[in-house]
Amino acid sequence: MRDSIQRRLITTMVLFQSLLTIGLVLVGVSDTFWRLLSTLDTSMQAHAMSVAALVRYTEDATGNVYFDNTLLPSSIDPNHPDLFAVWADRSGLIAHSENWPKELEIPSGPDHHWNFDWNNVPYHALRATHVPILDREEGKAFRPQTLTIFYAAPTIRLRMQVRRAGAFIALAGLLLLGITVLLALRGIRRDLRPLQNLAQQAERVSAQNWELRLPEEVSQVEELRPVAQSMKQMLERLQRSFEQQRQFLGNAAHELKTPVAVLKSTLQSLVQRERTSEEYRAGIEGGLEDLERLEQLLQWMLRLARAEQWAHGALRRDLDVIDINATCEEAIERMRSLAQSRKTSIRLSTNGPVPFRADPEDLQLVWANLLENAVRYSPEGSTVEVAVMRNHGGPAQVTFQDHGPGIPPQDLPHIFARFYRGDRSRTRATGGFGLGLAIAKALVEAYGGTIAAESQVGRGTRMTVELPVSSRN
Amino acid sequence: MRVLIVEDEPRLAENIARTLRETAGYAVDVAADGQEGLFLAESNAYDAILLDLMLPKLDGMQVLKRIRESGQHTPVLVLTARDDKESVVALLNAGADDYLTKPFDLGELLARAKALIRRGKGQPSPVLNIGDLQLNTVDRTVQRAGRPITLTAMEYRVLEYLAHRPRAVVSKTELLEHLYDYNWEKFSNVIEVYISGLRRKLDAGSQQPLIRTLRGQGYVLQG
Repeated sequence: MRDSIQRRLITTMVLFQSLLTIGLVLVGVSDTFWRLLSTLDTSMQAHAMSVAALVRYTEDATGNVYFDNTLLPSSIDPNHPDLFAVWADRSGLIAHSENWPKELEIPSGPDHHWNFDWNNVPYHALRATHVPILDREEGKAFRPQTLTIFYAAPTIRLRMQVRRAGAFIALAGLLLLGITVLLALRGIRRDLRPLQNLAQQAERVSAQNWELRLPEEVSQVEELRPVAQSMKQMLERLQRSFEQQRQFLGNAAHELKTPVAVLKSTLQSLVQRERTSEEYRAGIEGGLEDLERLEQLLQWMLRLARAEQWAHGALRRDLDVIDINATCEEAIERMRSLAQSRKTSIRLSTNGPVPFRADPEDLQLVWANLLENAVRYSPEGSTVEVAVMRNHGGPAQVTFQDHGPGIPPQDLPHIFARFYRGDRSRTRATGGFGLGLAIAKALVEAYGGTIAAESQVGRGTRMTVELPVSSRN
Repeated sequence: MRVLIVEDEPRLAENIARTLRETAGYAVDVAADGQEGLFLAESNAYDAILLDLMLPKLDGMQVLKRIRESGQHTPVLVLTARDDKESVVALLNAGADDYLTKPFDLGELLARAKALIRRGKGQPSPVLNIGDLQLNTVDRTVQRAGRPITLTAMEYRVLEYLAHRPRAVVSKTELLEHLYDYNWEKFSNVIEVYISGLRRKLDAGSQQPLIRTLRGQGYVLQG
């Protein structure tokens, strides 16, 4: 079952209020009961005394008594007659109510109150002893008698009253509970409406429409503000990476068009008419070359995509510590033949080993990309200078300095962008897809480093890579 | 007809050139960058220019603008990888006559190039009628008064050029310039050979000669 804040709140409230009502009923019932009982006691006592007052001495001097039943008090509950009996200590049972059951067991001992049932009627009873006879004529020469009085009143009415009181409190409690639940439901619905509005607004967000309009009421609810804020920020992040991906896809599709056009035209011109087998062979070989270029471009794009994925936190952590110098030497070795063909030399200088935790392939790729650019742009007979510097307490620096024509200032801010080429003339070379520097940047950033370019037109370009060499390395 | 291709992908340029030469019988020059393209466009008479946009040294847009600034009417067909509205509008506004997005079909390229050349010479129909002469530029056939005439490739090219400019005086140099690529001077004395071949085939069994020679000026095709 799905959980719901509303349901939970209401359940808690109902449970709590039910317990409260039960408690109130209990307290109310017992209070009413004791209050009514004490009233009943008082009336019974008064009635008992009235009964006692009806006991008279006879006119003679025997000291006998009689009961004057002409003035019997009425029953406390008119519908259910009271029970009473009066004993005098010498004369014995003097009088009793008509309905008094003789077999009723009256506990002996001191005065007290008790309850009993008789003929399915509940009674409350009292017994009073040593009650003096009020009719005491002075000067009579006999020993006065005292009375024992039993008086019982049915508690049917009392019980009914208590039940009624209990029912009233319970009813009031239930009514209150109902009202509270209704009000709470409305209140919760009203309080949750900003949440629903927020959800509606969130539903409108799509790849075409990134804007999350925050309803006024949302920003007014303290609990919702952080949720809305993080939603907004999440959307911004998503939009950025989405835009990046879309741009990459657009660039990639655009870049793929030319090699595809070449391949298509090669095959089409091959089938335009009957050709000799030499022509077919040459055509197919040309097509294969075109395909190879296409494949190369795809490989570079995938490499970039992978590097950029790492840059977003997916970099492998199980890496060994390597020496940056070694990776530089390896990259220089890779570029050796290119440098020789362009009659340029590469010089490496260093101030000692720089340990760094990385995949050596990644670093070699970075250095090779930077070196290739430097070598390609270097005039014949010049030297590309590579310097690896370990700074105590700071990041390690690797610089590539060439003495080529430099990069025009208007191109400089864009050189690390994917598929950016200041000049198309270098397209044909490997990495000339405008991806080499983008890959280098993505890789360096994946390792928490930075890459920057400075250039003076006519003087040359210097690429600086900084890598965070921590003490743990 | 003579066409200039400005395209830095050598194989693409080669494939287009081959198609134009083989299936349309055009003379084709190829420039591999914008500067060379502009130089060739300004120093030769082309019937159409096929221009790539992403070019080294001088990009295609600049080449296009400079060609139009110099007052040339040569039709320009732009080859581009971008087909979004903005760049197409920018192209046409810069003076391009048509565009094709990569990767394109060579057949379509050829058809568009032919259409551009026709329109550039004021001939909207692909079938040209001059008097009782009919020249179909699509399947490259010639008829006179309903009689099919078989021409050599070179004879057809000469006639096709003349047919695009009926009643106009076309000099030998103009013919040479539009029928051969940049080393046309070598062929200067073969035009007369083709013209006489054409006369022989076209006027056979007909009273009225189609091609007249204006001494010292050139040739006129007239019905």
